[in-house]
Amino acid sequence: MMTTLPNDIDKWIRDNLFDAVPMAIAVIDRKYNIIHANKSFEQMFGLWQNRKCYAVYKNRDAACAICKGSEAFKDGVARTNEEVGYNKNGRLTRYIQHSIPVKDDNGEVRFIVEIATDITEIELMRKEHQLLLDQVPCNILVINRDFRIVRTNLRLRQLLGDIDGELCFKALKGYDEKCAECTAHQTFSDGDIHSGSHVWAHGEDHVSHMLVTTVPLRKADNSFDLVMEMAVDVTKTLKLEDELKVAHTFLESIIDTALDGILALDDQSNITIINSAARRIFHFPENQIQITKDTLSELLPHGFLGQVAAGSKYSFLQETEVKTMDGDMIPVRLISTRLKTEDRFIGIALYIQDLTEIKGLEKEKLEAERLAAVGQTVAGLAHGVKNLINALEGGMYLLKSGISNNRMDRVSGGMDMLIRNIERVSMFVKEFLAFSKGREIHVKIEDPALIAHEVVELYAGQAANHGIELRCEIPDPVTPAPMDYEGMHECLTNLVGNAIDACNMSEKKENCFVAVRISEKDDILIFEVIDNGIGMDYEVKQKVFTNFFTTKGLGGAGLGLLTTKKIVQEHGGTITFTSEPGEGSTFSIHLPRKRLPQHNSFINT
Amino acid sequence: MPQKIMIIDDEPDIRVYLAAAAEDNGFEPLTLGAEESVINIIADKKPDLIVLDIMMPMRSGISIYKEIRISPSIWHIPIILISGMDSLSDFMENGFRKLINDDRISLPNGFIEKPIDIDVLFKKIKFLLGTKQ
Repeated sequence: MMTTLPNDIDKWIRDNLFDAVPMAIAVIDRKYNIIHANKSFEQMFGLWQNRKCYAVYKNRDAACAICKGSEAFKDGVARTNEEVGYNKNGRLTRYIQHSIPVKDDNGEVRFIVEIATDITEIELMRKEHQLLLDQVPCNILVINRDFRIVRTNLRLRQLLGDIDGELCFKALKGYDEKCAECTAHQTFSDGDIHSGSHVWAHGEDHVSHMLVTTVPLRKADNSFDLVMEMAVDVTKTLKLEDELKVAHTFLESIIDTALDGILALDDQSNITIINSAARRIFHFPENQIQITKDTLSELLPHGFLGQVAAGSKYSFLQETEVKTMDGDMIPVRLISTRLKTEDRFIGIALYIQDLTEIKGLEKEKLEAERLAAVGQTVAGLAHGVKNLINALEGGMYLLKSGISNNRMDRVSGGMDMLIRNIERVSMFVKEFLAFSKGREIHVKIEDPALIAHEVVELYAGQAANHGIELRCEIPDPVTPAPMDYEGMHECLTNLVGNAIDACNMSEKKENCFVAVRISEKDDILIFEVIDNGIGMDYEVKQKVFTNFFTTKGLGGAGLGLLTTKKIVQEHGGTITFTSEPGEGSTFSIHLPRKRLPQHNSFINT
Repeated sequence: MPQKIMIIDDEPDIRVYLAAAAEDNGFEPLTLGAEESVINIIADKKPDLIVLDIMMPMRSGISIYKEIRISPSIWHIPIILISGMDSLSDFMENGFRKLINDDRISLPNGFIEKPIDIDVLFKKIKFLLGTKQ
């Protein structure tokens, strides 16, 4: 229905609208001359007066090969086209052009009115969006309510090829019907954004794990018929996660099945890992999940944790003791490592080896050695007894012979011999009992040098009387070590006594010396007693450590060296000697530090 | 003239004992400890037989034995060894050869185990010296 406009509006339209519309309008005649144009046209394409349309639009010298205007002149039909031309600054410009033929009264097309809308910006944005869609590092598809794929991005096409128009479950997973847990379905149902994990199968044996997010593509009225599905490939991440899990499980099972205790503490000394062996060592009850750092600290050697946290990278206690929850002390080896990442202290790893069994075995071994020594003693005793019986028989013989031959000198000689040898029997028995019974050793930290000095002091007078030089040789200070003072004193006393006797028996009475030498090499304490006395020949050497072997006639029971050997064995050490007849002897006691007895020794019950 | 028997032992009691027994068996006993000059004394006294304790530690009986056996004037004197060591056969096969460590030296003429059976000892001595009982 036509309405009559008010005069002023009608006038404004006729006078001003042409220039006011925000679209470029030009009027072109049959010879391509632009005969009229509005302000927007001028702003977009620049000067137009007396110019051809192709010169203004396209910067050309001749008419375009394909000219929509010419076609409109011929058929009188209006057209719309997307065109590319140059703006007044010479820049490529995209625009939508409507070409409208203007007919005269005869129906002849005399002019074309061309209306151009600049879409350069919009086109640029569209391109950007397309780039974003194609290149964003995830697979994107748009599906409709029938679960048909209506659009895909480049990435997805590179992965699966052209799947536009296909059903999504078929194209992505090879299913014949919709997935049980369909993320897109959820979005279609409630209009919300949803996420889910899906496995896409493509090609033979090739699967990808996808983290999928679906969003509704809403129209202006908020309704939607399409859902955009964005799928991120997490196959590699999952694989890494899996490998990490395997590695973790592997480590965990190693730690937990380890025979030695393993504990890890964080930078606040809170316990983060404790394995079964550690629980066993400390007697932590199975049901006690949480073990506090204070509890642990009390069971470990005093101040140990603090020292480790403050100290060097590794701490190693060869032999120490920890307390159990029951209050018992057990022997352990303790190794700790400060854990660091990039110079940051992150905690402590503790490795605890229970030495109870090893200690038990060591004790059994020492016991076996002691029994072997007792066996030797018994054999030696037989020899000693033989000699004594001989002497007693001798006494009896003299007595009988004296009586039957009426010789009083033999009778009294026989009596003396009997009395003397009965005394010897009693001395042997006493010494033998003392030896076989042994003496409990008392272990404290002792200075080997001090023991040496005291033994040298003890013999100083006797040595001086015989013109023997007795001296201590301690080239380097030796760190005190756990040992039985009385025992080691007795060893050195025996050896120095023997050495002095060896000097006295020697033919050379001048320049005799006995040296007690204390040193340490490779964690082995070495006690040496060196003399340049008479020395030993082959036969004597064979018998050195045999009971009741004595080179001193009635002067000794022959137990000194055997006792020395026993004490050395109780200290986990060995005794050896070298000797040359006429040159002298050297007796060496070697005590490896790691085999030395500990306080409250496990040796000797 | 009674035959001379040299008794070498470092234990005075045994020396006295064996000397008395030798006298009672009609021999002239000579006794020695394990002195350094033992070879010279033997050469000087020229005993008819030597009874030697090989377990003398001071100067081992074995070295004295070896010295006698290689000394020109006394090497032939019969020697009876006395030892508390092992059984006779064991000692002869293993111990003695090992101790002597010299194949040229001959075995002793007799061997007596401790404790000494005085009758056995003198039977052996008399046998070696060809003395009629």
